[in-house]
Amino acid sequence: MSCNRFDLPNTRREFLQTAGCGFGAVALAGLMGGQNASAATTLPQRAAKAKSVIFLFMEGGPSHLDTFDYKPLVNKLAGQQLPASFKAPITAMGESKSPLLECKRTWKQYGQGGLWISDWFQNVAQHADDLAVIHSCASSGINHAGGVCSMNTGSVFGGRPSLGAWASYGLGSENQNLPGFVVIKDSEATVVNGVRNWGNGFMPAVYQGVEFNSDGVPIKYLDNPKGVDRKRQRDKLDLLGALNRDYGATRASNTELDARIRGYELAYKMQAEAPQAVDLSKETEATKKLYGMDNEATAVFGRNCLLARRLVENGVRFIQLYSGAGSKWDSHKGIEVNHSKLCNAVDRPIAGLLADLKARGLLDETLVIWGGEFGRTPMSEQGDGRDHNPTGFTMWMAGGGVKGGQTYGATDDLGLYAVEDRLHVHDIHSTILYLMGLDHTKLVYNHKGRPERIDQNEGHPMTKLLGE
Amino acid sequence: MKFFENEVRPILVKRCYDCHSQTKQKGGLRVDNIGYLKAGGDTGPALVPGHPEKSALVEAIHYANADFQMPPKNKLPDAEIAILEKWIKLGATWPEDSTTKVVMTEGGFTEEQRNYWFFKPVAKVSPPKVKSPWVRNDIDRFIVAKQMEMKLDPAAAADANELVRRVYFDLHGLPPTREQIDSFVNDKDPRAYEKLVDELLASPQYGERWAQHWLDLVRYAESDGYNADEYRPSVWPYRDYVIKSFNDDKPYDQFVREQLAGDEIAPNDPSVLIATCFLRNPVYEWNQRDVRGQWDIILTDMTDTTGELFLGLSMGCAHCHNHKFDPILQKDYYRLRAFLAPVQWRDDMKLATPAEKKVFDEQQAKWETATADIRAKMDALTNPLVEPKVERALTRFTDDLQEMVRKPDAQREALEKQLAGLCERQMQRERKTFDPMKSLKTDEQKAQYKALAEELKKFDELKPKPLLDAFIATDAGTKAPSVSLKTRKGEQEIAPGFLTLLEPKEPEIKPIGNSTGRRTVLANWITRPDNRLSTRVIVNRVWQYHFGRGIVATASDFGKLGEKPTHPELLDYLTTKFVANGWHLKPLHREIMLSATYRQTARREPTSDIAKIDPSNHYLWHFNPRRLDAEQVRDALLAASGELDAKSGGPSEDGNGTRRSIYTMKKRNNQNELLRALDAPAGFASTAERQSTTTPTQALQLLNGDWLLARARKLAERVENINDVWLAVLGRMPTKIEREKAESFLKKRAGTATAPVAANDADESSGTFKENSPHERLVVQNGEEEGDEFTVEAVVSLNSIDVNASVRTIASRWNGGKDSLESFGWSLGVTGVKSRFKPRNVIMQLVGEDENSNIGYQVVPSDIHIELGRRYHIVARVSCTGHTVSFTVRDLDTPGAAPESVVVPMDIRAKLSAGTAQLVIGGLNKRAPTHQWDGKIEALRVAGGLLDDKTLNADAEKWSDGLVTWRSADPLTSQLAWSGSDAKTVEADDPFHQAMNDLCQVLLNTNEFFYLH
Repeated sequence: MSCNRFDLPNTRREFLQTAGCGFGAVALAGLMGGQNASAATTLPQRAAKAKSVIFLFMEGGPSHLDTFDYKPLVNKLAGQQLPASFKAPITAMGESKSPLLECKRTWKQYGQGGLWISDWFQNVAQHADDLAVIHSCASSGINHAGGVCSMNTGSVFGGRPSLGAWASYGLGSENQNLPGFVVIKDSEATVVNGVRNWGNGFMPAVYQGVEFNSDGVPIKYLDNPKGVDRKRQRDKLDLLGALNRDYGATRASNTELDARIRGYELAYKMQAEAPQAVDLSKETEATKKLYGMDNEATAVFGRNCLLARRLVENGVRFIQLYSGAGSKWDSHKGIEVNHSKLCNAVDRPIAGLLADLKARGLLDETLVIWGGEFGRTPMSEQGDGRDHNPTGFTMWMAGGGVKGGQTYGATDDLGLYAVEDRLHVHDIHSTILYLMGLDHTKLVYNHKGRPERIDQNEGHPMTKLLGE
Repeated sequence: MKFFENEVRPILVKRCYDCHSQTKQKGGLRVDNIGYLKAGGDTGPALVPGHPEKSALVEAIHYANADFQMPPKNKLPDAEIAILEKWIKLGATWPEDSTTKVVMTEGGFTEEQRNYWFFKPVAKVSPPKVKSPWVRNDIDRFIVAKQMEMKLDPAAAADANELVRRVYFDLHGLPPTREQIDSFVNDKDPRAYEKLVDELLASPQYGERWAQHWLDLVRYAESDGYNADEYRPSVWPYRDYVIKSFNDDKPYDQFVREQLAGDEIAPNDPSVLIATCFLRNPVYEWNQRDVRGQWDIILTDMTDTTGELFLGLSMGCAHCHNHKFDPILQKDYYRLRAFLAPVQWRDDMKLATPAEKKVFDEQQAKWETATADIRAKMDALTNPLVEPKVERALTRFTDDLQEMVRKPDAQREALEKQLAGLCERQMQRERKTFDPMKSLKTDEQKAQYKALAEELKKFDELKPKPLLDAFIATDAGTKAPSVSLKTRKGEQEIAPGFLTLLEPKEPEIKPIGNSTGRRTVLANWITRPDNRLSTRVIVNRVWQYHFGRGIVATASDFGKLGEKPTHPELLDYLTTKFVANGWHLKPLHREIMLSATYRQTARREPTSDIAKIDPSNHYLWHFNPRRLDAEQVRDALLAASGELDAKSGGPSEDGNGTRRSIYTMKKRNNQNELLRALDAPAGFASTAERQSTTTPTQALQLLNGDWLLARARKLAERVENINDVWLAVLGRMPTKIEREKAESFLKKRAGTATAPVAANDADESSGTFKENSPHERLVVQNGEEEGDEFTVEAVVSLNSIDVNASVRTIASRWNGGKDSLESFGWSLGVTGVKSRFKPRNVIMQLVGEDENSNIGYQVVPSDIHIELGRRYHIVARVSCTGHTVSFTVRDLDTPGAAPESVVVPMDIRAKLSAGTAQLVIGGLNKRAPTHQWDGKIEALRVAGGLLDDKTLNADAEKWSDGLVTWRSADPLTSQLAWSGSDAKTVEADDPFHQAMNDLCQVLLNTNEFFYLH
């Protein structure tokens, strides 16, 4: 087995041995917790405020032009073609020549910083002074498959580890009985490209995200098979443990054997503890209301936001919540109807999450990220929709020490291209790791002779987000 | 010299070192040594001593060229520029310093780079002379000599049981059967082991195992891999080609040539042509409008994979700059890419011999003549609708691409052919997916079309059996598209070529047929007997798969960032022999496996000395213990349960079945769960080495997942006692202690389990649906599809809901999936306890195309909650055109109760019947107990269109029309068939059998089962 830590010992086994606990401990720790789970033990780290990340992923591409990036010129030129001074973009659906589409929102300035936010996010707007709104995001993926893959892994092409996997690899998890990287979707629909968005790519599987169902059984196969009660499961595990221990007794140098024994025990513990971590029955009605769980339209995402807070409290490092799983934010036509519904479904829950984290003193150490795989074009599509725009779009961050109440970067006057402080996905990823205290140039995994980094050697963190 | 130290070096250090010295080499340039400066970076030499005017460095610091300015942020003060110019003019002297001396040789490579072991010819080595009784063949001489040097010694030989299990898993990927174990263990012939190896190498299971290694390397998968992840139904013949090549012991050089250039070598031989599927394996997205970008990604992928796979070089590193650690120039990357650049993916070819094609064409012509009229009439109806769709697909591309597509093929340049070809695939799709019955405007047209289609059907007898589609590639023509290397200094046209270090000259290339001939030249170079890279790489791979670690541990990267060979002489010795033996793999396997080194036991614990000298077993002081890989585990589970299907070849099947793992479908985005959990690669990139990970979620799946449980039950059925379980799973008898443990387990479990319940209390005629009875679901055979506008009407009562969130199903056309074209469908049912829609809610689940033509899954809740144990009349009317589902539910046990009705909006727009599922009453199109109805379905019908209120009736006897009508009171028609529990996979009720199931499951989870140790 080859070592994948670029500047460290020759083999993975050596690395693990120097880490003091052999493969088993590390492999399990990566998923199950323990500080020694990661590259972080040997990496220089900057003291960072952000310990956990909640990434609110609006899948399908939310329109920045109708939410956080106010462009009066769009309405002035509505109905006309893109002025010749703008370079014609390649658009996914090929309507780059369609007239500009009016934004029908009401915009207001909020907070000390006077951030412009549309009425679609009027609840989130109440936290304007916590928001670091980045207007100049850019991605290489022009369609959903490439865009979502890119936002998650840095490549439009599958096969690379996801951001959450890098974070787990870099920092490990803090909880013994829960995965370090959890994904929750707002419906049973599949996120574009499926599991590879939270995959481990070329890293060991311990770093992959584990999907939690927002209701019912939180993790697949967590429940015993039908007819098997906890006693019967325990009896089976006892026999298995006994046989495995006998087998391992004369094979002590093979630490993987021990790791498997512990894997089963941890699975059994997880069966008991994971449901408790996601059991919301002890939350007060007031809390549930804060997240919008009292209202049908906001209940699903509200519940997921509340789960995210619970998971943060339980030491989960990286949580990704999908809104509109299966490209629901995609609105090639009828953006008014589409976005009204989706913004309404997430606005109050997100505002509730920010308020709750703050009230509990968790916002400082929790980085909340909002965005999608791209934004949308100022040009219309099919009359009343907007096409994909990966060349300039908005994401915002809150908590985790970022300096809120202000915007960073800018798009042009029509919100088509990022023109100031352009932040490509590679830079976004570098920035997020930076906020978690990791130097993205040092967080290296050696794969097939290439010292791989999340940013493919191209990213630069936007350090000014910390107000430094 | 003083001038340099006082004036020049400080400037270089201050102004340039940040980006161009030891830690960073932007643009591939270092300025901390004159050697580096002369060699330069990506754009050529940085300076020419004595000639400032020819020195790029001078040009850059003068800011003369807007695109080439250094330092990038601010121009140097004029005084500093003058100093550097003066220094160069004076000859750019640099102090001699032995520690930093860099000697550049021809082509700009350093002596050190040239002398790197991998780039030196394969050495003719004689095995070391060692005196050791342990030695069986020459391999052992190299191994033991090294061990002696390291103060290590070999392990004892593995016993017959350990060895037979190792050899079967290694060569066949399967555990030995009890008979196979006995026959070997009891064979007293001193040549018994040799015979076993020969026998296994000659068996077809050998190819089924070793092909898997190759498929990992060529990132074989059976789907496109992007969002739609479209299935590739014609890719499996390549998998069979690989298996056959291994079984035939095809020389590796031929194997490589066929895959790189089979279309040029033997265009008319389908068994060779299919090898070029290698060039089709990259990920692909059918609806990518950025056609140029996608083609660039595909070419990059092909180039990277070719470099890693055949040459053991991480060429990808040189894509953007000269390789930082290996002597691979950025130019070399493009030289390699230029061989592949003319490739065109073809969809218009068939896997057939010319004779077969002739027969087919003749017959096809007969059919075409006979049906010309009918088809012309059909086209007249559909063309006015199809063509605008095709045209619309075209206009989605940028103007330049549209222009290429509109050009006649003959006028297209090579690149235009490639790009237009990719655009046309998207346009063709409009034709393929066009559904006349949905798109035709009037009922009259529809009727007309239907009649014509029926008429056409009458000629089916004339139609020849279709030929297999060829999933292959050729060149776009004899002229290649240009490949250019863009750097800051401009663009440079690159011709095909090999590594400059080894072969600076450009090879001579002549067109072959309608092809550039480039790939043949590349393949011939890779397979030259004196190619020091490719030969070592394949020999090392074979070693790696046998021992779990290569002589070079990084099997796809032999460069400086990879690991050094542990036994370089042995590698060269085996390589020489391999080439001399005609590139056959089987003799190499044989030599390795007959060595004493291979026959060592894995069961040796390190002493404290060994742990210090070689803790990772690089020098093979014992055999490496290994976890079985994903396919081995799955196949061994099926072997233990007695279900393994021995059939070989042909289209792939679902991984939940019983075919060998190599014959299961490999969808990149939807891998088989078990294989994925055990580290099977998804097929996005070439995989040289499997991971072996252990996670609690993996343990959960193995403990609680249905598939493994079903195998345990199957096994439990075929065993009679504890000995049988041990023999079936571990191939040996239990020890006394193990037997006692198992016995006490059985006793404990059987004593505490609850009393058995009568298994079957379902009554044939009453319409009761019950789990674990013969009446779980009613499957409708060959029913007409209901389409996107339909009505389901039923009279039901429900006894229980699922304790979790599963939905009790009244009727469905759905396999339960949510993300593939096969899973399009719908299901009407009632929610479970933990459902987010609250329990007992009547809901419709839909999978179809949404407004944006994405695959959409949606739950449409009625929010009408029914009570258990009461009779209801339930109606659901689904309308994709109206975007609604309307529900009507009436409680039949409350006299005079009014029906509750609700109309709920929905987002699915089309294709509800387009999946592969059949219509099923009482469950889904697969057995899934928690989704099955538990109670009565007295009657049910599915009707096309939206039935109006008047035709609905709680009295099923009054139902008059419907595509499918079922009444429990009536005898079963041939259209319907009960599907009962597959008694064999369902848990028996009596405690002893339950306990036996558990024991089997435990054994199938043991480390001994999962490990060769």
